Amino acid sequence: MEPYAIAATALGAVMLLLTVRELVRRKKGLLQYSLWAMLWLAVILVGTVPQFYTALLFATQALGMYTPIHFVTTFSILLIFATMYLLAKRVAELNEKVNKVVQHMALNNVGGLDNVSDSRRRKE
Amino acid sequence: MRVVCIIPAFNEETTIGRIVSEALKHCDMVLVVDDDSQDSTVELSREAGATVIRHVLRLGTGGALSTGFRAALRADFEVFVTMDGDGQHNPNEIPIVLGPILKREADIVVGSRLLKQSESMPLFKRIGNRILSTVTSFASGTKITDSQSGFRVYQRKVLECAIHRTWDYRWASEILVKAAKANFRIKEVPITAIYLPKRQRGAGIKDGLKILHSMIRRRLEPTRFLQSKA
Repeated sequence: MEPYAIAATALGAVMLLLTVRELVRRKKGLLQYSLWAMLWLAVILVGTVPQFYTALLFATQALGMYTPIHFVTTFSILLIFATMYLLAKRVAELNEKVNKVVQHMALNNVGGLDNVSDSRRRKE
Repeated sequence: MRVVCIIPAFNEETTIGRIVSEALKHCDMVLVVDDDSQDSTVELSREAGATVIRHVLRLGTGGALSTGFRAALRADFEVFVTMDGDGQHNPNEIPIVLGPILKREADIVVGSRLLKQSESMPLFKRIGNRILSTVTSFASGTKITDSQSGFRVYQRKVLECAIHRTWDYRWASEILVKAAKANFRIKEVPITAIYLPKRQRGAGIKDGLKILHSMIRRRLEPTRFLQSKA
């Protein structure tokens, strides 16, 4: 086994174990787990069965790409862009929720608005 | 007519005490919305006689005003004055801005820094302000010379249906466009603007582009009927 294959298999195995642990601890949903598990299994496959790489030849040729590595790198980058977009969207949603919580807390802690003359009387 | 003055404040310990004291001469209550200041803004506001609402995290001017409006709407105020807490606005001009409201000539009054001397405003801000005011006028269908001015007066019925949703500097234009589309009357009066040498606040180029985009979008969206309560 080549060194890169050992590294890929080890990384894939560790990440798969962590993903399973998160599924068991209910920190990840089933769909999310499935997607990540597929990715780590693919990494393990590339390390243990290098011939698996040739299975990409069909997809590579169909898309007009030169070699399978082009296929892998191009779609990996596209996947990263899509993930970044989804993360940014999620961050914006969370930011909005945090803002609402901050405002809600501030409004719940305000007093002295029932008596309009409060401020004037306090000043005098 | 019961009047409340809402002042969003972030690290304004050098000016807030004076502003609150002077504003109290013209309003029934001063509400300072502290946007997570790290100095003595809260203490000095209270000492001067203001009611203070505190944010645990900084939300920006728009967010602070939104909180102030929502808090003040819980009470029975009929007129809502807003002004900056950094000394740019003169609280003794509150009667000038209140005038058209008291005479029933307008539902919103904007204190325009550009109707009076505008030489005190830095040039790049003046240019940016003119561009944004032109776009806001286009989006609202009403001529507005200073859409970014925070020195304003609103009647209660305006805020009951047109509070802004954006919490960055877009709030200033958004609330005017919403109010104009709901057929509220907007009037401008001249006010004095005081620009302190170290003042760093205000909308920058990035905020300006956001406002521009927001106003173009609002102009193109269909007018939604907003119920105004008498």
